[in-house]
Amino acid sequence: MQHEDPRNGESVHRGSKKSKLSSKFITESDIRDEFSHHHPSVARINNGSFGSCPGSVLTAQRHLQMQFLRQPDAFYFNTLRDGITASRKIIKDLINADHVDEVSLVDNATTAAAIVLQRIGRSFAEGKFQKNDTVLMLHCAFQAVKKSIQAYVTRAGGSVIEVRLPFPVNSEEEIISEFKKSIEEGKSNGRKIRLAIIDHITSMPSVVIPVKELVRICREEGIEQVFVDAAHAIGSVKVDVKEVGADFYVSNLHKWFFCPPSVAFLYCKKSASSSDLHHPVVSHEYGNGLPIESAWIGTRDYSSQLVVPAVLEFVNRFEGGIDGIMKRNHDEVVKMGKMLAESWGTNLGSPPEMSPAMIMVGLPSRMCLNSEEDAVTLRSHLRDHYDVEVPIFHQVSKDGEEGVRDKDGFITGYVRISHQVYNTLEDYEKLRDAINQLVEDGKTCKMLYKE
Amino acid sequence: MSHTKKHFILNLIFSREVSKLRFNVVTIFIPLGTLYPDFYPSIIAMNGTSASAAVTPQPLLITPAEVASEFSHHHPSVARINNGGLGCCPSSLLFSQRQIQMQWLRQPDEFFFNQIQPGMLRSRNFIKDLINADHVDEVSIVDNASTAVSIVLQHMAWGFAEGRFHPGDATVMFHCAYGSVKKSVEAYFVRAGGSVIEVPLPFPLNSEDEIVQEFRQALEKAKQSNRRVRLAIFDHVTCMPSVVIPVKELVTICREAGVDHIFIDGAHGIGCVDVDMKQIGADFYTSNLHKWMFCPPSAAFLYCRRSSESSSLHHLVVTHEYGNGLARESTWIGTRDYSAQLVVPEVLEFVNRFEGGIDGIKRRNHDGVVEMGMMLAKAWGTHLGCPPHMCSSMVMVGLPACLGVLSDEHTWKLRTYLRDKFGVEVSIYYRPPKDGEVGPLTGYTRISYQVYNKVEDYYKFRDAINQLVHDAFTCASLPNS
Repeated sequence: MQHEDPRNGESVHRGSKKSKLSSKFITESDIRDEFSHHHPSVARINNGSFGSCPGSVLTAQRHLQMQFLRQPDAFYFNTLRDGITASRKIIKDLINADHVDEVSLVDNATTAAAIVLQRIGRSFAEGKFQKNDTVLMLHCAFQAVKKSIQAYVTRAGGSVIEVRLPFPVNSEEEIISEFKKSIEEGKSNGRKIRLAIIDHITSMPSVVIPVKELVRICREEGIEQVFVDAAHAIGSVKVDVKEVGADFYVSNLHKWFFCPPSVAFLYCKKSASSSDLHHPVVSHEYGNGLPIESAWIGTRDYSSQLVVPAVLEFVNRFEGGIDGIMKRNHDEVVKMGKMLAESWGTNLGSPPEMSPAMIMVGLPSRMCLNSEEDAVTLRSHLRDHYDVEVPIFHQVSKDGEEGVRDKDGFITGYVRISHQVYNTLEDYEKLRDAINQLVEDGKTCKMLYKE
Repeated sequence: MSHTKKHFILNLIFSREVSKLRFNVVTIFIPLGTLYPDFYPSIIAMNGTSASAAVTPQPLLITPAEVASEFSHHHPSVARINNGGLGCCPSSLLFSQRQIQMQWLRQPDEFFFNQIQPGMLRSRNFIKDLINADHVDEVSIVDNASTAVSIVLQHMAWGFAEGRFHPGDATVMFHCAYGSVKKSVEAYFVRAGGSVIEVPLPFPLNSEDEIVQEFRQALEKAKQSNRRVRLAIFDHVTCMPSVVIPVKELVTICREAGVDHIFIDGAHGIGCVDVDMKQIGADFYTSNLHKWMFCPPSAAFLYCRRSSESSSLHHLVVTHEYGNGLARESTWIGTRDYSAQLVVPEVLEFVNRFEGGIDGIKRRNHDGVVEMGMMLAKAWGTHLGCPPHMCSSMVMVGLPACLGVLSDEHTWKLRTYLRDKFGVEVSIYYRPPKDGEVGPLTGYTRISYQVYNKVEDYYKFRDAINQLVHDAFTCASLPNS
């Protein structure tokens, strides 16, 4: 099948150009090999949820696992700590942090949220914060983050402000203005905002947030600390923690940075209170600083944290390294998004510049996706009957607001498609055809429940 | 089975000359019609089994060669006598684990929606039966005992923060509690306003009574100082120095004294000593499955006896499962590799290849380590740290005094020296002398015995120490690292 090969960052005219320039870079068939463990017939367009890991990195990981099993004590004493430090150093450079002490490795963004929020909770319990001091979060914050706020902040007496961002969104200005408004509301009644949690790339619906601008606004408004939940960021958008300027910044390395499940980094800007940040699982390393605490939280498999150097090797086989991968993923997902929107007669949820390697595409209104349940049902149906894996979002329209329409009605559902190096055009065509088929058959989401 | 073997057995059975067999096989009456090739191997394997058992085909017991094969990934030239440290995992289980990992990587969304929850429930049910818990809701799976300890202690911290506990309320724990437990108590209990009463563990010791006495005294101390004991936390098998604690008795004493919560750190428990939740009677009990129960790193369980407050325990890492009970919360703490926890039920298949299953393994490990411990003590002219019945699959053996183990630092240095120079992996313990003691042993080693160990491992260790003694080695002579 003739289609553009996005991997070499150049338009395809099959033949000479490609073979001359790309010989030193990973080839299409190498990539297929690297991801040959993926289910061969599934259109896997949801890299955003659980990520992916190439075969060569899995091999490196396995090697580390066997090293541990071979002589675990020697591994613990001689290999583990240095290996984690080496990974942390790579990440420090990748994210432009000042010092490796600012970089801790944890399992995932969810763990990082618990670390930061547990400290907020303690501050309430120890009287440093007053009742009704506030934590600010986005309305569409990841569910685990919301629950973490409940578990550590609300329980300890704090209150929460939710910032409702517009969606679909047309520009960064819309987000910035909404954010400013919410802070004003939040600060009324003289409440002090102790922490703002801002996504770098929201999960559902997925858009890139202008974090640098929002952090600046937070500082201006006297918000004490800012935590950027950038679960999707690394390997997807440029990450420069100094530029962003937040106090805490977390990103998963197993989502878009090819690490095996699971590993994330938590960046904590050096400050007077850095030493009072702790991993919630306490080991004998307690009190030695979060990076050291996180490097040993009891006997476990730390191989996913140790394998970062092998990942760097992998991405550098691609033209332009991780930057090249990011650019091509972005270009392709926008292209595929437009293709789907055009085929379905719908819209994109955000402009291309606000969509990194993921984009929201409106589903035909005729599907009548009217609830969260409908979204889950449709997703399962696509998985079970069409071999398509893609998350679905139910858009609740704000009171009094007119939603976006297609020719048949209001668009209330969106798919979030991802593009990663292993994706091909066929994956998206499969989704396109599946939805078109359902629409053609007159199927609404409610009708799918019975199947 | 070779033709000759089959022929031999058939002849024996027909001639009724069963007594000629060198195995202790009771006369068996087998109708000819039931004879079939698969049956013969089990006759050779059976020792002293009853007639009725003989008729039912039994699975083939694992052979020494197969055991060696299962642990062939272990470093071949290291005398690995520290199973208590980081455990071990047989290759067949690693293989099963890998399959689960590949299933996830193949289609993670499908695995998340369809496989994880049923898989975790299977693991939890398996553990529930293993430990004789009442209900699967009482069983949560976590990474390791350290995580379990932090979970329980955070719960205690909320007790202070929410006014259920009062400043100064106490926790009682052994002075030799594991490092992460002590730190967790500091991080959560003390920081929230609680106080600590330490129970010294006598060592070396001669009986459980010595432990019970000290524990009683500690509870008395709490009473004298008008401090309510909110939490008693103690080991089932202490780590260093390692002895088996009479947990049932301590639980009884705690209940009598009105201790609020009893938490047993059984990190070494399962697969090493008998772990029966109903019999032990604690409120919380945790044990690692990757230490003595052959699971890959890492999987552990936290048992929480059902009570009015068990539903208010939470995992430290909060997800969308928050509020659904600790057991459910623990099944999903964000994207991670859960394969070590999902593979747990397959352990049964492995341990049942051994005679007597896990109980047989425990018994043989215990007998083996005591035998080896006595061999070493005799060779070195020292003694065991406690009587055999207080040892599990680990035993403390005194090191010759002339080695000069005089500090914790010496123990690390000596351990490293044994690893690097002699290929011996073993834990060393410094036992500080008490006031007024004359010439006590200050250095002990903790040896472990697991199914993969051979007598040569302990000879290697014996000879290494003898060499050091012969060379007039002292720990002080070791360079700083």
